[in-house]
Amino acid sequence: MAGKNPIYIWINEERYDELEKAGLAKYTEERLAGLKVLVVHADDEQAKRCVNEFGAKHDTSTTGSIELLPREVKNKIYEKVVEKRTLDVVGDALAEL
Amino acid sequence: MAEIGHGGKEIKERILQPSEAKEKIKGLPQIPVRKQIANEIIGLTYGFFSPLEGFMGKADVDSVVKDMKLADGTIWSIPILFDLSEKEVADYGVEAGKPVVLTFQGNPMALFEVEEVFEYDKKAMCESVFGTSEEKHPGCKRTYEYNDKFIGGKVTLLKEPKINEPFGPYFLPPLKMRKIIKEKGWSKTVAHQTRNVPHTGHEWLMKGAFFQTYADSSIEKPEVGVVVNAIIGEKRVKDYIDEAIVLCQDELEKAGYFGPHNHLTSLTFWDMRYAGPKEAIFHAILRTNLGITHHMYGRDHAGVGDYYGAYEAHHLLDSVRDKLDITPVYSMNWLYCPICGEITSEGLCNHGDKQQKFSGTLIRSIVTDGVKPPRLIIRPEVFDKIMESAEKYGQGSPFVTEEYLEKRSPVFDIEPL
Repeated sequence: MAGKNPIYIWINEERYDELEKAGLAKYTEERLAGLKVLVVHADDEQAKRCVNEFGAKHDTSTTGSIELLPREVKNKIYEKVVEKRTLDVVGDALAEL
Repeated sequence: MAEIGHGGKEIKERILQPSEAKEKIKGLPQIPVRKQIANEIIGLTYGFFSPLEGFMGKADVDSVVKDMKLADGTIWSIPILFDLSEKEVADYGVEAGKPVVLTFQGNPMALFEVEEVFEYDKKAMCESVFGTSEEKHPGCKRTYEYNDKFIGGKVTLLKEPKINEPFGPYFLPPLKMRKIIKEKGWSKTVAHQTRNVPHTGHEWLMKGAFFQTYADSSIEKPEVGVVVNAIIGEKRVKDYIDEAIVLCQDELEKAGYFGPHNHLTSLTFWDMRYAGPKEAIFHAILRTNLGITHHMYGRDHAGVGDYYGAYEAHHLLDSVRDKLDITPVYSMNWLYCPICGEITSEGLCNHGDKQQKFSGTLIRSIVTDGVKPPRLIIRPEVFDKIMESAEKYGQGSPFVTEEYLEKRSPVFDIEPL
């Protein structure tokens, strides 16, 4: 699954501080002039749920990324990353929505 | 003094006074039109599509399809068509010589002086205009969805549209735009065609084109203006909402990244055809009529998927350069380089794999999350305007959703005569 169906969770300063305190800052990647992002991955079933239940778009033609997920879904994913201290959280997040 | 547009023809508005309008339409059949046709009526009657004075007849369509010219030899790339079903033609009594009234939102919008009723091979039209007849090409899909009968004839506006908030200040038809350009003292202008909210990559595209257009003109006073001309028409889910587009483009000027001495935001009503090179030609014609002297073109202009090569539009423009009255300005992409420490041009920076390119996917993702990016990527004022527009016009989203399509206020209304 590595590299497949990425979901981008953008990290502002407040979130980065939180991640740093939790020892998770290492998971962030830098994109676009220092803006940081957490990249989590959905499996194919989870990707379908994102599209069918949450109105996301799955950009299968180029990046494979899952776009336009509502903010509340992304916030839940971020919360789970902090809670579980892992990036493998999409299933858990969707289970609570 | 006459304002001369594309093809060396005078730009004339075809608009009746209200009292005259009421008289002219008495007793005429009334045919309701859909939004696309209403947009094109505005294009035809205000001179955006000069020298066209109405929907095309068969001779013009045939000549456009075969030679990318009107029957009189004027370069033209996309047929402008009015369509009806055979049943509608019969029911409304549409025939040459019998004018009809076109209505929109239940009110008379235009007088249509029917000159001919004809059919045309839609597949041939697609092959010519889009380079493909595949239905999955959105332009082909639109073409195949036309009814089978086409009606040619002149159109005259009966009622000027009421342009709704916030679009009013940006509706600048050709004669008005030309007056503004003169008042600003711009000897050159460069069109920025957009359907996007601007990130700094777009901002630098405009700045680069500004300098390309400026060339060797005098710097004693401002001579050049960037004219943003946003295409407002049919929306797809994932597009930015129209309100965000125009307000955020204007915000770049209001926030001082440009100024009124070098920048102007405007709009044109048009449903994108995604015709790539042929649409690039259409855009050249449109902006010529707006009085603009230069037109920016990046890679794959007005393209979709991988139907067109990156430079195909440039090649087609170059092939008819002597027949156009606007100068193409070809734009390289801008990107962020952490080594350069700035937004730079792909034509300059040689830091290869360190470059961070603007990606529509990433920008949409950042905007969706509501996380304000560095000002080097999206200006903070523009970001705030995106969020504000989302709340005010987009039911919380700056992107088109089904809810937006259902609930949005119309960009314009045609009120009763």
